[in-house]
Amino acid sequence: MEVEREVTVPAPPDEVWESLTEAERLEEWFANDVELDPREGGRGVFRWDDGDERRATVRELDPERRLVLDWDEGGAVAIELETVEDGTLVRVVETAPQFAAALELRVAAHAANAWAAVA
Amino acid sequence: MGSGRVDDVFDALGDPGRRSLVREIAARGDATATELAAELPVTRQAVAKQLAVLAEAGLLRATRSGRETRYAVTPGPLRDAVAWMVEVGAAWDERLARLRDTAAR
Repeated sequence: MEVEREVTVPAPPDEVWESLTEAERLEEWFANDVELDPREGGRGVFRWDDGDERRATVRELDPERRLVLDWDEGGAVAIELETVEDGTLVRVVETAPQFAAALELRVAAHAANAWAAVA
Repeated sequence: MGSGRVDDVFDALGDPGRRSLVREIAARGDATATELAAELPVTRQAVAKQLAVLAEAGLLRATRSGRETRYAVTPGPLRDAVAWMVEVGAAWDERLARLRDTAAR
């Protein structure tokens, strides 16, 4: 199961890439406090003012094109950049492995059991 | 609880097109056949027919809204998965809006 979103940013890919990989820039839009070692295998720590904290490892890093982070708690987020006429198209796909295909089937089975119980 | 029986549930979810409709509705919160058909290479009638199958199986809850029927995913066993999609989707909507604004400066 995954969530996909995209937005067109009115700036060239090299500037948007800085927003994705530089801690100070990430703090402008992604999290309140960011530490990130922007290279494959590098670690990231993202903290929010509500106390939430997520840690990640950089799985893929292709400058100005694609960044993939694996969350320590499971799941991943892939961010891809593409040059378009009015700037940069940013496409985000966040996946939750706990809801992957096999587990979706289990959810369906649970649903079936629940309904069987009241049938 | 839904009125669906076991076979209905499996039949309803056995079709990839219907599964993707469930995911799409979960991602949106709720939707009508017209809204869903606008994004798919199928007719509104075809979507409406699939939605009826899913509702009959108890996987979707149907609510009349004017001339249209709005569908939402039934709370319950699918709730965790649906909640994840809704929460993560909303978080990215906010983040990407901020990214667009900061980059535009």
